[in-house]
Amino acid sequence: MSDKTISYEELIPGYKFPPATHELSASLVSKYLKAVDSAGDGFVPPLAITALAIATMAGSIPLLPGTTAIHASQDLEFFKLVPIGTTIECHTGVVQKEKVQSGKATIALLT
Amino acid sequence: MLTEIREGKALNPVVKHITQEKINLYAEASGDFNPIHIDESFATKTPFGGTIAHGMLSLAYVSEMMASNFGRSWLSGGKLGAKFKEPARPGDSLTINGKIDCIEQKDDVSYANCNFECRNQKDETIVTGEAVVKFQSDRK
Repeated sequence: MSDKTISYEELIPGYKFPPATHELSASLVSKYLKAVDSAGDGFVPPLAITALAIATMAGSIPLLPGTTAIHASQDLEFFKLVPIGTTIECHTGVVQKEKVQSGKATIALLT
Repeated sequence: MLTEIREGKALNPVVKHITQEKINLYAEASGDFNPIHIDESFATKTPFGGTIAHGMLSLAYVSEMMASNFGRSWLSGGKLGAKFKEPARPGDSLTINGKIDCIEQKDDVSYANCNFECRNQKDETIVTGEAVVKFQSDRK
């Protein structure tokens, strides 16, 4: 996981997070399957890959004091089976940044 | 696995029980240590009033439901669009249901367009969305 944090102002559409490499080892997959209470099917669960990519990205997004980050929506597409033991490189970036007012709360939406 | 893929067919549901222990395990496995999920004293001071499960944990259950119905076709050719409506909390029992809305065919490939819903024991919608599964068709 990247240990670099950036300022909120830097998060503009087009911003690319530093790529992150993950080895999808048997122990990592086993830990994930236990967490999601699933038997698995001999391959890396696609949502495990997504979770790692999101956590890597979220770890480098600075949160202002008094703010909370939650997941609002998700679009995904899976292209091929991923064998256990594969090493992947995750590339993530900011596509859209919006701010909406909801009562007293200001909500920042990052896509 | 589904024995037949046809429009209107209900998918076999998945039922999961959320606990704080599972949320903590998920944080460890995914590397997502957002305090809203794992720090009760932090979470009680937020508008949520307590810890909530990772959205991706609920979505993992949706993916499991799709994989249990479509097998490898889902893992190698699935597409998912989901909206998180309400948070899942420790103590919640989640039921994930889905249905095949329509089947489209392009060349030799078929696409099963499904909708899904994840609801808690109070019948509140936690996650809703659509999923598409690509599979080889023997229909001509």
